[in-house]
Parts: sequence; structure tokens; C-alpha cells
Amino acid sequence: MTDCKIYIAIVEHSYIICEGLSNILLKSDHHSQVFRFESLQELSEFPGREKLNMVIINPSFAISDRKDFFALRKSLKNAKWLGLIYSYFDKKIIELFDDTIEISYDPSDIKKIISKISKEDWPCLEEDQVEELSEREKDVLIELVNGFSNKEIAEKLNISTHTVASHRKNITSKIGVKSLAGLTIYSITKGIISLEDL
Amino acid sequence: MYLTKKTYIKPDMKLGGLFFENPYLLLMMEHFNLDFVVNDKTIEKVCQESSINSNIFVDIANLYNGFNDLDAKKYTKTDILTIVNFLKNSHNYYKEEKYPEIQSLINKILKLNETREIKLISKFFGEYFNEVIDHLDYEDQVAFPYFLNLLEDGRNIPKGKDYSAKIYSDHHTDIETKLMELKTLLLRHIPLGKDRSLRRRLIISLFELDYDLNIHYLIEESALTPLIEKIENGFKK
Repeated sequence: MTDCKIYIAIVEHSYIICEGLSNILLKSDHHSQVFRFESLQELSEFPGREKLNMVIINPSFAISDRKDFFALRKSLKNAKWLGLIYSYFDKKIIELFDDTIEISYDPSDIKKIISKISKEDWPCLEEDQVEELSEREKDVLIELVNGFSNKEIAEKLNISTHTVASHRKNITSKIGVKSLAGLTIYSITKGIISLEDL
Repeated sequence: MYLTKKTYIKPDMKLGGLFFENPYLLLMMEHFNLDFVVNDKTIEKVCQESSINSNIFVDIANLYNGFNDLDAKKYTKTDILTIVNFLKNSHNYYKEEKYPEIQSLINKILKLNETREIKLISKFFGEYFNEVIDHLDYEDQVAFPYFLNLLEDGRNIPKGKDYSAKIYSDHHTDIETKLMELKTLLLRHIPLGKDRSLRRRLIISLFELDYDLNIHYLIEESALTPLIEKIENGFKK
């Protein structure tokens, strides 16, 4: 389960523009976290870049650091790239972006663009985030807490070890707990196992 | 990248004023073994009087304010002593103050809400903290003496000993994960009983521990380790 926050990078030299845009984004209906970068290099070194859903960027970076721009665009392929337009750019440059935000836009226009994009790409925004484990995940959890290895669980439940690993991953991302001790506490709290079972 | 609105600290700023904005800087002062009633003195002056390199002081203070500007190039060999003392003092804070505080809160919660979950949380925290203590002891007994020896007389030291930056980094990741789980369990999963206020205090205390441990780790990783490696490489040549 991905979490439903939108992670947005703004790549822009002007602090004023960046802060203004960031305030509009933070006050929109979506839950978002905004990061500011002053160069493409800074963005390429950002440890959380894989998580980014959206990169709002001044097209001048695409002109001055053409190579870096295309490399980053390619590596962050899950993110939508929006041009932040406040001066004249050639049509060919504008076409490099999925969409544009113009400086003359009203905050409501910006929200509309975000909504449009998020509807297409982040379905989780429309439904509540599910924390509840599926029955199969609970089965795996019980075996885990009882100390069985992935391989043993796979044999017991007649599924592949790969599937066990993927259930484990989903359990952890749903409940935010990974260690055996933590999973045990969780299982007891939720009544999935009782202490006597252990 | 900015996620904080706190002041970006510079050497000519008056130190006293910064405490009003971020009281956790008082904790930093204790780790430096400095008094925090400093009248109108600037950071530069305070550092001068206590023979601390203001570069390292400012960078650490900025960590507490949410900016990571650590850069070993700005520090010198003599700063190793300052850093080691800072880290040692933080160890004391974890062992003598933070751990007993958290343990006593858990005990109080247990009295109000003696459930299986809280008992297990108590155990979980105990195990977690033993790991932390193991690590702190390893530093106090192996890593720090080795560093200080290296500073005094590099020729007599046994090579690299058991010290390894990688070990520290692994320990740290594990410590981080466990602390995060503890917070998640207490915040999201375990139902509240009569322990609401106590649990709030416990959670805030865990966040405070996490905050300081994080800074501790960054200092080791980005300031101390590179300085040590520089000396070690110097001897190899």
C-alpha cells in the first residue's frame, strides 16, 4: 500500500516563487509534502527522489542542463513533470513537459491541474487507505510470529516463497512494523494470536 | 532543501536568543559541557572562551535546527577531542537521564494499564535499549580510546583495531527501525486505557531520544569518521 501523500519537488531559483507555490500546494485539498531544490544536481542527490509524484520545474533548467534533465526525467519516470512558466519559452521546450503551471494562474487553477493529474495516476487518493490485513496476510503473520521462516511458511500454506516475501512486505507497509517482536505485539493487540498460542 | 522555518545559525549571532526558538539547543550546550546562561555573547565569543572551533559548534547547532551542513573539510584534527567529548556527554544523557525517564514512564503506564501489550512494550524497549547500551559501550571502550590514542601518538597504535564505521552504521539502522516501531505501536495500534497523559509523555520522550540519537549519528558519520580516516590514511603513507 503506497501512502497517499503527494510528494512534490519544486526546482526553481527564485525563493519567492518557490515559497508562494509551495504555500498554494500545501493548502490544496491533497495531502502533500513539498521539497525545494535549487538545481537538478541537488534533486538527483535527494534520497527520497524515488517517492516523488510530481516535479514542478522551471524550463530553463531543461535548457541549461539538458543532459541532466533528460537523465533525471528518465530515472524518475513515475513522476509527472510540470513546467513552471513565467517567461517566454519555445514551443519545443514546453512540449517536454506533461503539463504547465503559469505564473498568471489563480490558486484554484493550480489545484485543478493537481487534481486532474492525481485522478489519472494516484487512485489511492480516491479511496481511504486500508490498514486492515487481508486473511492471507493474517495467515502469514501468524506463522511469522510463531517463528517460521519464509520457506517453511511457503510449504505450510502451499504458496511460493516469493509470495510469502510479498505478503511480508505488504504487512510491513500496512502496519508500519517489521521486527518479529513488533509484529508479535501487533498480533496480540489485534487479537490475531493470543499469548497462549506462542 | 528546506523543511524547517527555524533560524539558520551563523557565528555572529547571539547565542542566548536562539534558545527561545529551540530549547533543544540547551541539550546541545550540555553535550558541549557549556553553561547556557551566556548573557549577550555571540557564538563566536562563547566558542573562543571555551576553545571550541566555531565551525563545528555552528554546524552542530544547525543540526539541532534542522540543517545539515556538516563537512569534515571545515574541521581540524584538534576538533576530534571536542567531538569525542560531545558524544561521550550525549552517551551519559542517554544512559543516565533518557533511559531511566522512559523506563519509569513505561512502569507507570504498566501500573495503570497492566495489559499484555504494555508488558510486551516494556520488554521490547528493554531489548532495544540493551542494544543501544551495547553500542554506546563499544564506542566508550573501543572506538573513543582508539581515536584519542590516534591523536596523541599515532605510531604506537594497533592498526584499525575493531573499530569500523560500517558496524556503527548497521547498528544505527537497527536502532532507528526499532524506535520507529515502538512509536508506531504506541501511536497507531495499541488501544489507549487510562494511560493517555502518560502515554503522551512517553511518546514525546521517545521522539526526543530519536531526535538526539539522529544528530549523534550524523556527527559520527559526517564529521568524526572522515577526520579519523584522514589521520589513518596519513599514517599509511
